[in-house]
Amino acid sequence: MLDALTGNLERYLDLLSARQKISASNIANADTPGYKTKDIDFQQEFMSMINGQQPLTIEADGLPVKPDGNNVNIDREARMLAENAMRFNVASVLLKGQIASVKSAITGGGTA
Amino acid sequence: MSLFAALQVSASGMQAERTRAETLVENMANAETTRTPEGGPYKRKDVVFSSELQESPFSAVFQNELATGVTVADITEDQSAPDLRYLPSHPDANSEGYVAFPKMNPATEMADLLNTTRSYQANIAAMTAVKDMITHSIDLLR
Repeated sequence: MLDALTGNLERYLDLLSARQKISASNIANADTPGYKTKDIDFQQEFMSMINGQQPLTIEADGLPVKPDGNNVNIDREARMLAENAMRFNVASVLLKGQIASVKSAITGGGTA
Repeated sequence: MSLFAALQVSASGMQAERTRAETLVENMANAETTRTPEGGPYKRKDVVFSSELQESPFSAVFQNELATGVTVADITEDQSAPDLRYLPSHPDANSEGYVAFPKMNPATEMADLLNTTRSYQANIAAMTAVKDMITHSIDLLR
């Protein structure tokens, strides 16, 4: 761990991949009768991850339930996938910058 | 690495949808089948999906709790009465000249098949998104 910011970025990436996994689960279960859309409370879980806890899932509310008891909304999940991927990209670029600055310190600012 | 579990979940979704497509195609192909090994006309089949926790060989149990894949729990046969058509010259006709055909609506099967295709594509989209994230993680090492 380089510093606090890097640690937080790492947790952010972890949480984003957890959320992406949930989105993938929701899409895979789009036709499973009785399946309820899962999600994580991002802000709350980020704070609890700082304390070293694993993220917990919640059931997303406010989604219309189909006659078979399933409430997966493909459009919502598509948005989630795109949003998570973009956030992940931003965070990984930031993290790369952090690593690059440490590398630069190691090499004394040279290009080697 | 929890992202690999997401790939596993999408793969389970694709596999389930593929099984559903196979079943629907089987139904359509047998829409006019009057003879089966069990006797009587073909009975149209339905797949039953159920969600299941995904087992991944390299991740700890607590990481798996978030990853819920899908599996084909059962393939059921439609027990509704067959469609009787008056065809006295047909070898499978009963004493009154009626032949039992599978009860099936090709339009329903086709609509289901379209639905299956879209679900399959949604799983592929999820897989692509996760793959991009993994690629970006690998880029951190460069």
